[in-house]
Amino acid sequence: MTEAPPVEADPPIEPGLVKESEFMGQSGQSVTGQARIEAAYGVGEGEGQGVAMVAQSPTAEGGTIFHQIYRPWRGTLNPRWVRNWSLLRHHVYGLFSKGHRPWPLMTKLIVVIVLIGSFIPIISMAMSWLTGVEELMELYGVNRANLWGHVLGTFHNTCCWPLLTAMIVGGLISEDRQNGTSAIYFSRPITRTDYTLMKFISAALILSLVIVLSYCAYYAAAIILNDEGWAYLLDTIPYFIGGLVAALMLVVTFTSIGLALSSLSTGRFFPAASFLGIIFGTRILAYLIKLLFEKDTLYLISPYDNLAHAGQWMMGLNTTYDFPAAWSFVALLLMNGISLYILISRVNSLEVTRE
Amino acid sequence: MTKEWIIETHDLVKKYGEHLALDNVNVNISPGATGLLGPNGAGKSTLLKTILGLIALTSGGGKVLGHDIATEGAKIRQRIGYMPEYDCLTPDMEAIHQVRYAGELLGMNPTVATQRAHEVLEYVGLRDQRYRAISTFSTGMEQCTKLACSLIHDPDLLICDEPSNGLDAKSRQFMLDTLFQVVKQGDRSIIMSSHLMDDVERICDRMLMIHKGQVIAQGRIEDLKAIDREIEISVWGGSSRIEEKLKDMGQSVRRTGRIMRVTRVDDSTYGTIIQAAAETNVQIRKMEDYEPSLEDLFIVIMDRLGYSVKSSRDLLDGPTPAMDNAAQLGRKVA
Repeated sequence: MTEAPPVEADPPIEPGLVKESEFMGQSGQSVTGQARIEAAYGVGEGEGQGVAMVAQSPTAEGGTIFHQIYRPWRGTLNPRWVRNWSLLRHHVYGLFSKGHRPWPLMTKLIVVIVLIGSFIPIISMAMSWLTGVEELMELYGVNRANLWGHVLGTFHNTCCWPLLTAMIVGGLISEDRQNGTSAIYFSRPITRTDYTLMKFISAALILSLVIVLSYCAYYAAAIILNDEGWAYLLDTIPYFIGGLVAALMLVVTFTSIGLALSSLSTGRFFPAASFLGIIFGTRILAYLIKLLFEKDTLYLISPYDNLAHAGQWMMGLNTTYDFPAAWSFVALLLMNGISLYILISRVNSLEVTRE
Repeated sequence: MTKEWIIETHDLVKKYGEHLALDNVNVNISPGATGLLGPNGAGKSTLLKTILGLIALTSGGGKVLGHDIATEGAKIRQRIGYMPEYDCLTPDMEAIHQVRYAGELLGMNPTVATQRAHEVLEYVGLRDQRYRAISTFSTGMEQCTKLACSLIHDPDLLICDEPSNGLDAKSRQFMLDTLFQVVKQGDRSIIMSSHLMDDVERICDRMLMIHKGQVIAQGRIEDLKAIDREIEISVWGGSSRIEEKLKDMGQSVRRTGRIMRVTRVDDSTYGTIIQAAAETNVQIRKMEDYEPSLEDLFIVIMDRLGYSVKSSRDLLDGPTPAMDNAAQLGRKVA
């Protein structure tokens, strides 16, 4: 280790000569010292064999003539809502058209399959209407249980909605972390609130397109195909609205949990798998505890069961749980609160300069 | 003299818990191209985030393009194009759509953004590749796409973080030419962070050097360079003889192999060297004034700070080495 040379005083600045420099906090000062001397042509005395440099003739390269001209742009940038709309559009339109978020083919396929699956009651009612087979209409006709079942039934919540949510939210934030695309967002006038909110709304909108849309279509189809009147509408609208609120609660809760898991990871698989694990794992655990101890309080840890319980209460059905519905509402609030807290804190940790 | 600064900060302090990332940083950057230099962990990234208006400062303040960094982050980012060092592109998207989306996120109308995306992709040399997926691009093409994303709204200030990172010689040349054109032809300002001194020297006429959160040097590179002027000679046969002779004649000589540098006192130094060569019967095969480069400036600065480094890569590629003992005892950075 060599001793560092002492700091030399800089020469005085000549009057009239303005130096645009600052060194070690002193304005107008320059850096004095000696440049490094590098080894060249060996380190001997110079009697070795030299290597001649032979000039090479330039070679012609084929190709097009490329004129690089910088073109200025004098347009105006739109306000915040346009930027947010772009973010939302990018995610939602990606499902339907090229040039937006490239959703994997499997995700698109799952969305289509689940959407078709959720239209089965409507198709069955239409078949009944066309063929006159009354059994189909009795099976799929609108009543409290069927409306509840469309949103919160075991079949849909085992085979459809959790799988759909896992595929949609799986890579929504984790892929930004993985690909570094967070830098594209945050180096632009997109705030973290806008980013989180638009991602949330995008996921919720896609889920709603399947869950809520099919629910509303089912109710509308029942009225049209059965040729029901205003009286029927007035009778059924309260529990239809109850089911609609339950469907929105399901969308919000699943999106919160899914996005929180997505923000924790850098891949698509972990959030999707852990989301399914949470939904099914908590249900199975609560079910086993109920079998062993005949207590179903542990269903409070299951997002699905809390939603099902709240839905039963809102639609005026007999509840199948032995604890008050208020507990389920509180549990849902807590689940959403914790998920959103994780989501916000993880989005805050997304870097611009380095990930 | 009243000067227009694109970036000016006053006593900027940023602490992450106990760690002091920026320590009373006072920066004045005028329009044009400025190189941002400093070892790893010096505070460059924190300063860039501050310039982008992304972090809450502990104390101090400043303005970027006339906007307050503490309160007008969104306005600043609308006028800045940022080209990150690391991957920031969606692999499965086509370049044209990626660039268009980058424009839309700034608030550009989709139609206008598409039109402008075509223009900037042509400018960065990707006209024929613009409909290819980014995952099929080479590193050079990815860098060009990142540059296109940052240029789409014709920003007043372009911040490039290691723009030539991972590029081969040809791509690097093209990238530097393009950036140079943005400054000269486009009349835009650039802040370029790079560990390649040659790149910075080629594009930038000013530099800002940060070390341990403090500004060590800033200003015009030529004004900062007051490094000893030397005459470099390449000799053949009897290097030791001529070295001794020159020292006997009162010259300051440094030698590595057949290359020697003699401190230039005045024009008579050339005559002294020729005289020494004649007297010692040594051939001088090359004699020229040695022009110190930015690399030399960097090493001299680090030497003044107490670090024995052989090249800028020692400091910029790895962790900052410990200071020399002597330097640790009595030296103050600023």
